[in-house]
Amino acid sequence: MRHYEMMIILDGELDERTVQPSLEKFLTVVTKDGGTVDNVDTWGRRRMAYDIKKKSEGIYVVVDFTSTPATAAELDRQLGLNESILRTKILRKDA
Amino acid sequence: MAKPVVRKPKKKANPLKAAKVENIDYKDAALLRKFISDRGKIRARRVTGVSVQEQRLIANAVKNAREMALLPYSSSAR
Repeated sequence: MRHYEMMIILDGELDERTVQPSLEKFLTVVTKDGGTVDNVDTWGRRRMAYDIKKKSEGIYVVVDFTSTPATAAELDRQLGLNESILRTKILRKDA
Repeated sequence: MAKPVVRKPKKKANPLKAAKVENIDYKDAALLRKFISDRGKIRARRVTGVSVQEQRLIANAVKNAREMALLPYSSSAR
């Protein structure tokens, strides 16, 4: 089990209220495999330094979680498949 | 014989110590902005006045922040 920090940029055209439930759906992957979601920090809508997929605004979310490396990779894969997720980054804080 | 001009490099105050920053985080875009130029380039160590180790951490943090669109890769000021 390792501690990860993940930053997710969602499409800025989404309603900010719908972000929370859809995010929780994604994070069930972590809890199902015995990991824990430690903290979810929603920064909210923010102007990006440059356009991603022709969008100039994104909703930033930072998630701290603990899971196995395989689970983290699977979560990243599933997030990448979603159209409304512009970008993700997983980092290990302790590394 | 002409005396060689000895230039004493002026020691810069460490801006990280001044800001009381312990760990350099890519999420802290406001801090990292102090270490990039107007055009978005990472400032050299002789300009920033931080240690070698800190400069490396800053450079990595800036690059991570750029990937997440927190900082620009280049901002065309001109």
